[in-house]
Amino acid sequence: MNFTSPFSLALIAIVGLSLVGLPVAYAMIGGSILWLFLSGLDMGTAAEQLLNGMMASQLLLAIPLFILAAEFMNTGSIMDRLLTFCNAIVGRFRGGLAQVNVVQSIIFASMSGSALADAAASGKIMQSMMTKDNKYPPAFAAALTCVSSVIGPIIPPSIPLVLYALISDTSVGYLFLGGVIPGLLLGAVQSGLIAAVAKRRNFPVELRVPLRDLPRITWEAMPALLMPVILLGCMWTGITTPTEAAAVAAAYALLISVLLYRSVGMKDVYNSLVSSARVTVSIGMLIAGAMVFNFVITAENIPRTLSALLKAHEMSPLVFLLAVNILLLILGCFLEGTTIILVILPVLIPTAQSLGIDLVHFGVVCVVNIMIGLVTPPYGLLLFMMNKIADVPLRDMVREVMPFLYVMIGALAIMTLVPDTVLLLPRLLGYKG
Amino acid sequence: MSNNIVTAVAWMRRRAENIVAGLLGMMFVAFIIQIVFRYFFNFPIGWTSELSVVTWLYMVLLGSAFWLKETEEVRFDLISGSLGPLGKRAIGLIVAAAAIVLFGMALPATVKYVAFMKVESSSYLKVRLDVLYSVYVVFAVAIIVRYIWAIVCLLRGEAPEEADITKATSGL
Repeated sequence: MNFTSPFSLALIAIVGLSLVGLPVAYAMIGGSILWLFLSGLDMGTAAEQLLNGMMASQLLLAIPLFILAAEFMNTGSIMDRLLTFCNAIVGRFRGGLAQVNVVQSIIFASMSGSALADAAASGKIMQSMMTKDNKYPPAFAAALTCVSSVIGPIIPPSIPLVLYALISDTSVGYLFLGGVIPGLLLGAVQSGLIAAVAKRRNFPVELRVPLRDLPRITWEAMPALLMPVILLGCMWTGITTPTEAAAVAAAYALLISVLLYRSVGMKDVYNSLVSSARVTVSIGMLIAGAMVFNFVITAENIPRTLSALLKAHEMSPLVFLLAVNILLLILGCFLEGTTIILVILPVLIPTAQSLGIDLVHFGVVCVVNIMIGLVTPPYGLLLFMMNKIADVPLRDMVREVMPFLYVMIGALAIMTLVPDTVLLLPRLLGYKG
Repeated sequence: MSNNIVTAVAWMRRRAENIVAGLLGMMFVAFIIQIVFRYFFNFPIGWTSELSVVTWLYMVLLGSAFWLKETEEVRFDLISGSLGPLGKRAIGLIVAAAAIVLFGMALPATVKYVAFMKVESSSYLKVRLDVLYSVYVVFAVAIIVRYIWAIVCLLRGEAPEEADITKATSGL
C-alpha cells in the first residue's frame, strides 16, 4: 500500500480526525474532500454525492419513523403495563426479575429498532426494580439491561438492518424476517444463563401472580403487544412499503397512547418529536457522510480489489464468514456500529457475494455481531449509557457482562454455521435466496 | 458583545429545534396522507414522497448546522476525554482548523455545483434544484462559522464541552 496516495492520505485524515473528536460524519466528508482535491477532481462532488444520495433514499425514511414510533410507545404508562405483563409470566421463576428484563427487551424489540432506545426506555425503571431491597447486585442488573437491549435491533423493526438493506440492496422485509429467530435465540441463551446461575447466586423469586389475573393483565398490555402484528402485517401483506409501515406503526403508537391510555398531551407529542429528531439528525448526518466517503471507496475500486485478492487465496465461504466475524468483533470493541455498517460492510459485501454467501444471512450475522459490539469494552455504547443511568462502575459491569458475552458469541457462531437459523423464516415467506 | 452572541445562538438553537421537530412532524403526516390516499381512495399521490424526502434532507443538514451540539453528533472522545485541559484545547484547535480548511476549500466548488443545478427541477413539487440544494451551502457555511467560533472560544481559554453519552446516540 502506498501511504502517500490520495486514498491513503484521505483515510489517515478520516481516522485521525475522528480519533481526536471531530464528528465522524464531518471527518468522512472532510476526508473525501481531501481525496477529491488530491486526485485533481471537482470538490463539488462531495455535495453532489451527499445531496443526490439523501434524496434517493426513500427507504431511509423508515429510520426516523421507527424512532418516532418507539418514542410514542415509550411515553405514558405503556412500559409499566408491559412490565406488569412480563412479571406475570416469568416473575414466578427463580431470578424472575432478571427474566422479566430479558422478556421485556424481546417485546420492546418488536416495537423499537434501536438497542440504545431500549436501554434508555427501560434502563432506569429496571435498575430500580432489580436493586430494590438488595434483590440483585447493581452491577448485574445494569449489565443485564445492556445485554438484553442488544436484542432490540435484531428482532424487527431494526435500524441497523435498514442501513444494511441500503448498502447491500437486499429486501428489508426479508432481512427483518431473518432477524426474528436470531433475536429469540439471543434471548434464549441469556435467559438460559440466568436460570443456570440463579440458584447459585440465590436470585429471588417474585410473588406469583394468580392465573385468574392473567387475562386482565394481558388485556391491559394488549394494545402494546399488537404493535408488532400491525407493523409486520402491513409489510408482509404488501399493503404498505416498509417505510410506510413505519409511519403506520408511529400513527398507531400515537393513537393508543393518546386515546387509550390517555397519558399523552400535545406537549408530550412535541417532546417525542424533538427527541426523535435529535437521534435522526445524528444518524442521518452519519449516513450522509458515509454516502460521500463510499463514493471514494467505490471510485478507488476497493471492494472489487479485496474480492479479487481473497478469491486468489481461494478462501472458502465458511472461513470468510468466520474471519469477518472475528474482524467485526474486534472492530466492535473500538468503533461505533453505524460507522462499521456504513463503511466497512460495503467493502466486504462484494466478496461475500462472489463466494456465494447469501446476503440476507450475511447481513443478519454481521448486524448481530456489530450489536454485540455495543457491550464489548473498551468502546461499548450500551455500557457507557448504563454506566450513566445506573451509576454503576464500568469495571464491575464489564465483569458481569462477560459470561453473557460468551453465550452470545456462542449464539452468533450457531447463526453463522447454520444459515437456516436466519433464512428459515424468509424462505417460508417466499424468499428465493 | 460575546454575551449577546451567546443569547442569539441560544435563541437560534431553540428555533432550529422547533423547525427540525416540525419537519419530522411534516414527514410523518405526509406519509399518513400518502397511505390514506392510496389505500382508502385508491388514488396514489407522488408529491408526498418527494416532500418527505426533502424534509429528511433538511432535517439532517439544518439540524446538524444549527441545532445539535458537536457533542451530540456521533464521535469518539476516548482520546480527548483522557487528556488534561491543555491537551483538550490543543486537540480542539486541531479539529476546528481541519474542519475549517476542508469545508472551506470545497466551498467555491460546492456553490458552483448547487448553482449549476438550476437547470433541473424536482419531479412533483417543481422546485428548482438550486433552490432546494442551497441548504447544503448553508450547512457548509454554518459548519465553518461554528468551528471559527470554537477556535475563538478555545483561544480565550474556555474548555470544550463534555459529552453526555445518555443523550448522544447513533440510533443503534
